[in-house]
Amino acid sequence: MTTSKKIVLLGHFGVGKSSLIRRFVENTFSEDYKVTIGVHISKKTIDTPDKKTISLIIWDLEGHDDVEKNRASYLMGTHGFIYVFDASRPVTFENLEDQLLILKTKYPNIPVKVVANKTDLVKKTEINQYNDIFKPLVDFYTSAKTGSKVDLLFSKLANELI
Amino acid sequence: MLETYIKKYHKNNFQYILVDAAGKVIETDNHIIPIGNLTQIQEVHPFFEAFSDLFFIKNESYDFLCINLDFDKTSIIADITLQTHNDNKNLIIIEDLTKHYNNYQLAAQNRNESLINAQILKLKNLHLKEKEQFKNIFIANFSHQLRNPITALNIFSNLLKDTTLDDTQESYVNVINTANKNLKQSVEGILDISKIEAGKLILVEKVFSLKALLNEIINEHKLHITKKNIEFNFILDPKLPEFLNGDSFRLKQIIGNLLSNATYFTLKGFINLNISLNHIRANKANLHIKVSDTGIGIDPKDYEQIFKRFTKIESTIKNDMSTGLGLSITQYLISQMDGNIKVQSEIGIGSVFTCNISFKLATSYDKNLKEVLLHKVRKRLDKKHNILLVEDSELIQLSILKIIAADGNFFLNIISNGDDFISTIMDQDVDLILLSSTIQNYTAEELTKSLRKLSKEYKKIPVISISSKAFKEDIKSLKKAGINDVITKPFDEETLLNTIHQYLK
Ligand SMILES: Nc1nc2c(ncn2[C@@H]2O[C@H](COP(=O)(O)OP(=O)(O)OP(=O)(O)O)[C@@H](O)[C@H]2O)c(=O)[nH]1
Ligand SMILES: [Mg+2]
Repeated sequence: MTTSKKIVLLGHFGVGKSSLIRRFVENTFSEDYKVTIGVHISKKTIDTPDKKTISLIIWDLEGHDDVEKNRASYLMGTHGFIYVFDASRPVTFENLEDQLLILKTKYPNIPVKVVANKTDLVKKTEINQYNDIFKPLVDFYTSAKTGSKVDLLFSKLANELI
Repeated sequence: MLETYIKKYHKNNFQYILVDAAGKVIETDNHIIPIGNLTQIQEVHPFFEAFSDLFFIKNESYDFLCINLDFDKTSIIADITLQTHNDNKNLIIIEDLTKHYNNYQLAAQNRNESLINAQILKLKNLHLKEKEQFKNIFIANFSHQLRNPITALNIFSNLLKDTTLDDTQESYVNVINTANKNLKQSVEGILDISKIEAGKLILVEKVFSLKALLNEIINEHKLHITKKNIEFNFILDPKLPEFLNGDSFRLKQIIGNLLSNATYFTLKGFINLNISLNHIRANKANLHIKVSDTGIGIDPKDYEQIFKRFTKIESTIKNDMSTGLGLSITQYLISQMDGNIKVQSEIGIGSVFTCNISFKLATSYDKNLKEVLLHKVRKRLDKKHNILLVEDSELIQLSILKIIAADGNFFLNIISNGDDFISTIMDQDVDLILLSSTIQNYTAEELTKSLRKLSKEYKKIPVISISSKAFKEDIKSLKKAGINDVITKPFDEETLLNTIHQYLK
């Protein structure tokens, strides 16, 4: 029997939430930016290492600079959060710590994966420059463009949900 | 009556679906999405999986706004309501608001794109600025380090020239001398550029004798030009004013650059220097400077290019020594003086550079004037004066020792660290202090301040700082600390002796 798990992607607008999902679900990428309004829901079934199938219902939310601006109805019944920021734009991670604190307080038992996306745009040295701000908080350094670490992100989270 | 109209114009953007507690479709009006009876609602779209847990909660209502639903043939954006009942019949209402939300999407698209673009632009500018800053600091530090060796090279090759040398030796010394002069010029050019970029190149205003300055320039260049077997003609307008008020150092640099440039690109023929008075208006003299040559010439399409940094039109001359900074600095200086520069040229025939620059006229009562005129006179002094040199670079110590010994008017005492400064002054007669701006553990400002705190007689001792920092604010800070004058490295014999003589009469 397949279990389904609801995963919600959060973060500022334009950080690559939709792109990460498109990379994971369809294995494609587009440079064009189409702003998401409301929510898009897609589904992908994956096999876990212990031969179980798990159906991921992925909610791609409209971007906000504050998680509290999201409609509460979208967050209902979430099993796992992915908080995405854009490693090339400091505005998208300057309030990272506060945002994670809000999530932890409101949803104490739901795992959150923190993702630094668009790593293809920044040099290692530039990432190091911001290390103080986000390094201890980040779980994955991804690029939806190159596909780097995208599958790993979703499968790691999925495994934690079973 | 109204009923018929409502029926006719009713917007049918709703779909009602009835499902059981497991999500199996019992009934649907299929106004928007075609769904077969008995289908699991969760199969219709993954959005409905969210309902699975809610069906069990009786008599509740849930609203989900702005849900994007993609199907094979259509995509809609809808508000969806779930109404649960205690008879296990759950009503789903889908309101298609695609048109409404598409407008909203368009507005969000515009807002987000422009916000992101503004952020990226700001970051790029910040990045550029940081790079620029790094470059300027690097250049300043680097030229700073070159100052001591260039000064020593300059002084010692001059001293060497005054010893008895055979012809071969003398020609070697001349080569060293010229190479060092070029090196010094390049370093100063690079420093000028970094000052320009940092907005720190500031013109000074001081009275100077135009005639003396032009003579100086002509004498310096005559030698170089005639050595290449090129004719050098100069015509100075007799109407030129005697004294002007402005930055004579930079005026010399402008004319000098144009002459050096002409010399560099001319292999045979002549170089003409023409300086005339355009007009005098509102107490300002407008000078016309023209340098023409019979050099290799410049293609008109390169006219703009030659004033840009680090570009040089391909030359036929090997052994290229100049950095190509001259013209861009010249143009900058002229623009700062509210003047203009133009070039006219023909390949293989030659070039003519013309510029017009205004200077304030100096009145003969100008209080700086006396200083200017006195500057030139260096007398034998009645008695030998004691100079204390505080400097930790041995190269500079030696250079100054040689210059001062050759002058014959002074005794020189040298200390290399700041710890002994005050005790030395208290123990000995000191008439003037030469103070390096960088002594280990001390700044020249600190040392001078502690000197000025001693009793009255010490307040009057002239202190001349020998500084490797050349920025205006460095010099300002030195003077504020009670330092009388500043000589910047690399310096030459003339400057050092003239400055010392000015304070010891
Ligand atoms: N170079 C690069 N560009 C990316 C990457 N991920 C996304 N982008 C680009 O970033 C822009 C925004 O991507 P989206 O995926 O639409 O961002 P979003 O987080 O869904 O934005 P909202 O829907 O407005 O919240 C698009 O132009 C993408 O092509 C990445 O890893 N590298
Ligand atoms: Mg999106």
